Amino acid sequence: MSAARQMALPALRWRALRPRARWRESVLLGLLAVTLVVGSASLGATERALAGHPPTFAAADPRALSLYLGMLFAVHLAQVLAGRRTDQVLLPAVGMLGGIGLLLMQRLPQDLVSQQIFGRTLVLGQLQLAWLVLALAVIGGLAVAVRSDRWLRLYKYTWAAAGIALLLLTLILGVDVNGARLSLRLGPLTGQPSELLKVMLVIFLAGYLSENRQLLVEQDTRLGPIRLPPLPYLAPMVAMWATALGIVVIERDLGAALLFFAVFLLLLYVATGRTSAIVLGLILFAVGAVLAYQLVGHVRTRVDIWLDPFADPGGAGYQVVQALHAFARGGIVGTGLGGGLPMVGGRLPIPELHTDFPFAALGEELGLAGILAILGVYLVVIERGLRIAAAAADDFRAILAAGLSLVVGVQAFIIAAGNLKLIPLTGITLPFISYGGSSLLTNAVVVGLLLAISDKGVEPPPPPGSRRRLSPRRLTGLLQRGAGQ
Amino acid sequence: MIGGRPPQAVRRAAGRTVGRNVSRVGITLALAFAALAGGAGYWQVVRSTDLSTSPDDPAVISAVRHVPRGRILDRRGTVLASNKLDANKEPYRSYRDPVMSPVIGYASRQYGMAGLELAYDAQLAGLRRSDPVADMLTKFQAKRYAPQDITLSLSLQLQRAAVRGLGRDQGAVVMLDPRTGEVLALASTPTFNASALANPTTAAATWKALNDDKSDPLLPRATLGRYVPGSVMKIVTAIAAFRSGSITKDTTYEQQPAAEKTGLLVSGYRVRDGHHLFTGDKALDFIEATEVSCNIYFALTGLRTGGAEIDAAARKLGFYAPIPFDLPTAPSQLTNGGGPLPGGFLDRVELANAAYGQAETNVTPLQMALVAAAVANDGVLMKPHLVRSLHGADGTQTVAPETWATVLPFNDAAVIKSAMQRAVEGQYGRLFTTGAKVPGISTAGKTGTAQLGGSGEPNSWFIGFAPVEQPRIAIAVVVAHGGGGGARAAPLGGDLMKLFFDTEANR
Amino acid sequence: MDGALLTLWIMRLAFLALIYLFLIGVVRVLIRDLRAASREPATELGRLIVLASPSGEPAVGAVFALDAVTTIGRDVNNAVVIEDPFASSEHCALTFRGRSWYVEDLASTNGTFLNGSQVGGTAPMSFGDEIQVGEVRLRLERGRR
Repeated sequence: MSAARQMALPALRWRALRPRARWRESVLLGLLAVTLVVGSASLGATERALAGHPPTFAAADPRALSLYLGMLFAVHLAQVLAGRRTDQVLLPAVGMLGGIGLLLMQRLPQDLVSQQIFGRTLVLGQLQLAWLVLALAVIGGLAVAVRSDRWLRLYKYTWAAAGIALLLLTLILGVDVNGARLSLRLGPLTGQPSELLKVMLVIFLAGYLSENRQLLVEQDTRLGPIRLPPLPYLAPMVAMWATALGIVVIERDLGAALLFFAVFLLLLYVATGRTSAIVLGLILFAVGAVLAYQLVGHVRTRVDIWLDPFADPGGAGYQVVQALHAFARGGIVGTGLGGGLPMVGGRLPIPELHTDFPFAALGEELGLAGILAILGVYLVVIERGLRIAAAAADDFRAILAAGLSLVVGVQAFIIAAGNLKLIPLTGITLPFISYGGSSLLTNAVVVGLLLAISDKGVEPPPPPGSRRRLSPRRLTGLLQRGAGQ
Repeated sequence: MIGGRPPQAVRRAAGRTVGRNVSRVGITLALAFAALAGGAGYWQVVRSTDLSTSPDDPAVISAVRHVPRGRILDRRGTVLASNKLDANKEPYRSYRDPVMSPVIGYASRQYGMAGLELAYDAQLAGLRRSDPVADMLTKFQAKRYAPQDITLSLSLQLQRAAVRGLGRDQGAVVMLDPRTGEVLALASTPTFNASALANPTTAAATWKALNDDKSDPLLPRATLGRYVPGSVMKIVTAIAAFRSGSITKDTTYEQQPAAEKTGLLVSGYRVRDGHHLFTGDKALDFIEATEVSCNIYFALTGLRTGGAEIDAAARKLGFYAPIPFDLPTAPSQLTNGGGPLPGGFLDRVELANAAYGQAETNVTPLQMALVAAAVANDGVLMKPHLVRSLHGADGTQTVAPETWATVLPFNDAAVIKSAMQRAVEGQYGRLFTTGAKVPGISTAGKTGTAQLGGSGEPNSWFIGFAPVEQPRIAIAVVVAHGGGGGARAAPLGGDLMKLFFDTEANR
Repeated sequence: MDGALLTLWIMRLAFLALIYLFLIGVVRVLIRDLRAASREPATELGRLIVLASPSGEPAVGAVFALDAVTTIGRDVNNAVVIEDPFASSEHCALTFRGRSWYVEDLASTNGTFLNGSQVGGTAPMSFGDEIQVGEVRLRLERGRR
């Protein structure tokens, strides 16, 4: 054994911050800023033209936009200063979606929503801005501060229990909104706990699946010639999930139920790779769907409207028919922000436009071109999330990242498909675009966690004796150490 | 440690499988989003025009409330349909003359649309532009909705005369130009007051009254009314016979004179005919048979030509299908079909009876006018149309004449023409078609007396054209329960054609 | 088309075009990432083999692929987790700088030993060297392609 050579190397102190530049993110944010400014100008000019003034290049609400862009850059700066090597595409992509949503909320009649906060009345656009700023703060906070996944990994049963408790609380204390008891009121704010629940369930699933992965992959439950994943090991997970599903169905939040189901199945596949699990799941879904159709009245209504909304265009099918008309009016390039959505009797043609149908509104005003672009941005968010999952250091983080991406992606798919009459309509929000504080905050948590997971860790220090100045760097507590991407 | 199993050993080795699963899930999601893109493409491109111009669309509803509809004018520029403002300054429709109601229809806020108002709604409301490129660019125009005025080929004067001539009877008149297919009159009685229906204050009462009226004034009989044709169908049989070459103009049937007295025996059934005093025992040739309208001759011709050929000729003329026209049309027929004989005839008896326009034959006045026009235009049938031109912000778009089918060769058409001329101008023919001849102009035509088997007077029919050498007008007249062809239809036909020629000079 | 409407439409189309420009920018980053990822050779910089492990965690003979920076310690967030009562939560780090390996002791309680001698701060390592963390011995070997 050779004697250890004590070299006169300056000891690196690993404990302080080292800012590092994030060029790609800054370029993308710059592009984003220009895009939103032009969009805002277009909206403002259209509004002026409709009011009869000559169109000038005035943005619709410059203060709101600057606040939003400022917050985006602040989050960017926070990551730069903290020296985090997190994903550089997620924040701009999410920022683009949020920005489009903000423009839409500014465009809609402001009196759709109003709330009294601290004596002041805030309306739709202002509220959306406030929630967005808060959401960005959450993203920034999580991206910078979350360094260890211990608190997620170890307490998974606690997370699941907390989620179920929240659901029960909503069931008991909840307030009826449009026939579904979804919201919980806390002082001046109303929130939808089912939104947060999905994140908690994903954390739980990630923990459980990663722990028992080997078992689930290798062992089987034999059903004749068919090999299924070991059902006894699936049991606690299925029980937890079934409880959540049941409560959600009782609350008549069918969109969330569908989301939970889909994410559960997909995560099961991600963890085990066993298609038999998927097939079994789909069969159960089909059976459940048929039963629900026969037994549950409002499920039947929803499915009937989906199959032929034009049979009752003035009654039950009104929303869907109006949404399809909106898409048709948009055509390929749309009517321009502010130029569509003809009022019917002084009201918007589509009810619940700001929560359930922003996709249709954007379809009318931005056209097919805009819709394809927005779908592209969602795909980018999902793709980044899944890449973060694929490159994660270990199973827990991988499954967690996959689950978080799926929660955003599958939700976007469900509501967009409902708007387009590809699947029955459900009342869930379009992530980052719909109005809704709980939706924005929950998705912010998702993105913040994804960014934290994506941290590539510390860069290898330069060799001793090189000309580069050795600045101290923080090493400990990184979420992802040493694993290349 | 978590779970009691060594997690590190699993971490790395299994990491790669998770990666592969993740990429598969990613591909699935990408495909799902591709489906979304496809769905969006369907609704925003494929269905874009029909949804965004449908009357339920809120943009359309809003436009209809505020944008005045385009006007409808007759061939001379007389305004037939225009707009008035109601108490709320919103436009409603007003029509000049009820004679035009079956054709123009109505556009009422409460009761929807009918007729040309419905068929050309997109152009009148200005939702669709005249050409597809302009259509796509509508949203870039300052004036999003540009209603177009429509000029019809109809003549208000002729239409008024036709309705006056029909009087209190139910019936229809179709007048068209055989060279171009333009329709100059499309009258139907009883007619109704479309203005009262479009006016919001009187709409409800008018609607109720119209629906309670047993004579069905809302039915446009010229295009949707079906009547037993009687002898006018013989022209169709003649066309079929000449097409197939089964007869020539000199064809005679030796059993025909005897059958005049005893009836023609066809499969045990006797086809009877009115006795032609004038012709005695002579076997008639085609022109003579047409002049005196000999049922026996045409029954024999029908049998000789055969069901298949008759069916084919009829289809060429437009039978058995809606006629391509600006308004909806009902299909005409020679038989109900379903029979074992070629052409769908039940047996030879039916074929024989159909050949002279009885049995299950049922035709629209428009169809018979087209038959006359085909013969008149030397065997070339032109597509009928009502609209001459549309003009709006994008300029004027004219509708050009279009050939629909070549039904007969020139020579055969000439033979039928001269036969029909004899039917109007011949020494015997004119006794049947009193009043059909236009003084000073060579006229051709054929009457029909359609027996209705006991339900009242027969339908009185007349089809014709003039002048024979280069026909400029073709006409079909039917008066339901009007009696013999010569009683009502032929004189009215002659009067209307005379009016046409008298006023032609003023065009 | 009048001027006012024209400007409006130019702005609207510009907005759409810019969204696509943004997407293109993003896609370029994605493609560059993918290419970088596929270009990375699947070579390992090095491997760590467990020679002795009285606590059983990690198992004797377990092999760890090493990245440019690999931390070793009792904490679960380390790349190599050592369940040894004598190991600190963050015990030491193996780093690959320039062309050679270095081991650095992260102020552990019981110290890190390279080939028997205690490491103070950072010391260079070569393939075949052994380090001892608590009671666990590990050997650095060449990476397998």
